[in-house]
Amino acid sequence: MRLEKCWFCSSTVYPGHGIQFVRNDAKIFRFCRSKCHKNFKMKRNPRKVKWTKAYRRLHGKDMTQDSTFEFERKRNRPERYDRNLAENTLKAIKKIDKVRVDREARHHTLRMKGKRAKEQREAAKELEQGIPLVKAPSVLQEEPSLTLPKIKVKVSHQESQENRLMEE
Amino acid sequence: MIQPQSHLNVADNSGARELMCIRIIGASNRRYAHIGDIIVAVIKEALPNTPLERSEVIRAVIVRTCKELKRDNGMIIRYDDNAAVVIDQEGNPKGTRVFGAIARELRQLNFTKIVSLAPEVL
Repeated sequence: MRLEKCWFCSSTVYPGHGIQFVRNDAKIFRFCRSKCHKNFKMKRNPRKVKWTKAYRRLHGKDMTQDSTFEFERKRNRPERYDRNLAENTLKAIKKIDKVRVDREARHHTLRMKGKRAKEQREAAKELEQGIPLVKAPSVLQEEPSLTLPKIKVKVSHQESQENRLMEE
Repeated sequence: MIQPQSHLNVADNSGARELMCIRIIGASNRRYAHIGDIIVAVIKEALPNTPLERSEVIRAVIVRTCKELKRDNGMIIRYDDNAAVVIDQEGNPKGTRVFGAIARELRQLNFTKIVSLAPEVL
């Protein structure tokens, strides 16, 4: 039993999952799920599809060179069973996995280093350029020196009384 | 899924180039043939100067299908084309070479000659 890698997304194909396509020149393409198989049938290039491992590696999103990747390798020679070796391997798997996860996290933090400052800069620029969206441009043009000053007029009570008389 | 009127490629050097299925050997009302099944076929296209001619009726065994093949261990295999190998009544291939990848199922069905001639058994 062997855990193969998906040809399209490079994820692990577990037994009983996915499909294999055999081309006439006997090249085998393994797919982890129908999504990857369909994308292959659409003749998409995994290097250009953003969710694949190939794209992420190519564009520096994921860690590419690391000594922890050396352990996971296809070996064509079957290893003779040795109890101690199997035990040590199982112990090592956990340790190596922890090291890999830590290094990946570090890679991510390094990659995201200048992100907040960049976002702040972009936001400030947007605010500067987009001020007409908040305040109408006509209001800004209307300067107080060009318009007439608003005057409050007092309405006397006498007039109202006269009006009432006339109505009567 | 090969049924009567299906066209198949020929995966050997018998001289035939294209076959058309006209009958599936097995049961009286069998609908489809899969990998390892024997079919009766007509040669639709043949190379000149070969023992096989156009419109000759022959027997052939299916070696590759576009329809997925499911194995007991959960593996699903799909090939590029529908292909067959021309055989005689005893099940021996008429050609001397076999081209392309061939499914392992043929070994259990006593087509050992075809399997041994094949460049790749999957």
